[in-house]
Amino acid sequence: MNFHIYKVLLRRQMSPARLLGMAALSGVAILLGVLARTADNTVEFATQSTGIFGINVLVPFMALSLGSAALGDLVEDRTLVYVWLRPVPRYTIATAAVAAVISVVGSFAIAIMTAAAAITEVHDLILATVIATALAVVAYSGLFVALGLRFERSLLIGLGYIAIWELLLSRLGDWFARLSVRSYPMSVLADATGVEMRLADRAVVASYVVPVVIGLVAVVYTSWHLTRTEID
Amino acid sequence: MSAISLSSTEISPTSMVQAAGVSKWFGDLVAVSDVSFGIGAGVTALLGPNGAGKSTLLRIICGLARPSKGTLTILGKDPRRDVAVLGRIGMAPQQETLWDQLSGLEFVQLAAQLHGLSHPVEAARGAIAMVELDADDERSLSTYSKGMRQRIKLAQAIVHDPLVVVLDEPLTGLDPRQRRAMIALFHRLSDAGKCVIVSSHVLDEVERFGSRVLVIAQGRLVAEGDFHKIRDLMDDRPLRISIRSNQPRTLAIALLECDVISGCELQDPDALVVSTSDVMSFRRAVALAARDHQVSLLEIRPLDDDLESVFRYLVGQ
Repeated sequence: MNFHIYKVLLRRQMSPARLLGMAALSGVAILLGVLARTADNTVEFATQSTGIFGINVLVPFMALSLGSAALGDLVEDRTLVYVWLRPVPRYTIATAAVAAVISVVGSFAIAIMTAAAAITEVHDLILATVIATALAVVAYSGLFVALGLRFERSLLIGLGYIAIWELLLSRLGDWFARLSVRSYPMSVLADATGVEMRLADRAVVASYVVPVVIGLVAVVYTSWHLTRTEID
Repeated sequence: MSAISLSSTEISPTSMVQAAGVSKWFGDLVAVSDVSFGIGAGVTALLGPNGAGKSTLLRIICGLARPSKGTLTILGKDPRRDVAVLGRIGMAPQQETLWDQLSGLEFVQLAAQLHGLSHPVEAARGAIAMVELDADDERSLSTYSKGMRQRIKLAQAIVHDPLVVVLDEPLTGLDPRQRRAMIALFHRLSDAGKCVIVSSHVLDEVERFGSRVLVIAQGRLVAEGDFHKIRDLMDDRPLRISIRSNQPRTLAIALLECDVISGCELQDPDALVVSTSDVMSFRRAVALAARDHQVSLLEIRPLDDDLESVFRYLVGQ
């Protein structure tokens, strides 16, 4: 990873609008944590809300917002040339971009979701939330950085992917569910708390390994695309 | 259309940039067509109208775009394949957008860091000073004027002391004093043995860049070599001359009868524009015609003795 590129890309992530959006999402997460405490089945409610809100909504949408912009904005405003035209290996650019997105989305999402889990006082859920959120962040960040570099309308395409593939098609059967990123971190949550969750029936090892592999493959693809793409 | 060539297009061992049969197309649009040239140290102007393919060619030179056909090498390496050679290239692209959240020093320093310089801050300060900006100006680039943006782009292009400096319309937005300073900087880089390639569609700029010119029009290289030699080469081609007199029609008929002009056009009531390929015979004929027909000559002025006319001729406009 190139640390200089990482620092600059990290700085670009911190726009006031994004910070405001993240603050609003924090409020929802904390509210769900408070509601879980008052629920009849706190473990069930807390696990489901962590999965449904944290893994299905908060992480993918934040990763999409920041990930698609990490290199996509540089393509759009034609400033990628100031990184591309340097004698640095392309994988260092790709890893810097993914690392910058993971840093922001990961630190925020893990902190908020862990705080919400702590409020519920379901102790088995706290560590599982940290791990599941981190796995989801790695996979989605990698995917959406690649998407942002590859497509002009990456935000729209990403929204379509989340809504159609992750939220709808993944319910059609086991084969579709296996190709859904969210099923793996959800399985980590379900495994830790014993709560039955839709799609959360992946094997333990796969739950941990597949999201990391998705993130790595996305970095490899982004690096490859950077060597092939033409810079405007 | 074939290029007017005053120097060999064979691959020269001293060429830092070598293009051989380079073409670039986007679907049905041919942006660059079968261009070959070699460029060594010194300032070379890439001249052509807007949309001629200059920026595409510069992007290919830097490796930002891949030729659809042909090869382009920088210092013998393919910039698309050899990342290391990018360390020998500095480019200031045409677009104004910069990383607006950074200050000028941070922007140039980042370039220095990515080029692996051991003292990036000092190098950045030096480059910023060369383009006559203030390295201690902490304002973000978003506050920079167009001229300041042009100069900071130039600073990031030269901060690592590259051998090949590619500048796409670098004088746009600069005031006359800044233009003179930048042109002087190009010449200093040239004197230091750098290969400086500067694109422009502004003809009076190009005349001051230096004598070597590549003229590109409609994606094709239409002329290359020493600008003044290109002009000399054109002496056997029709030259347009404006003649002001008290009897332009009479003079036109007389000159046509002498067979020394290939065309004429009455413009203002007292102005006649003629085309001739034989200036010496024309001079004699016009004097005799004026005497014989009692025409008073008020002014005789060549119209295409400047760079613009050369350019217009070369690009067929």
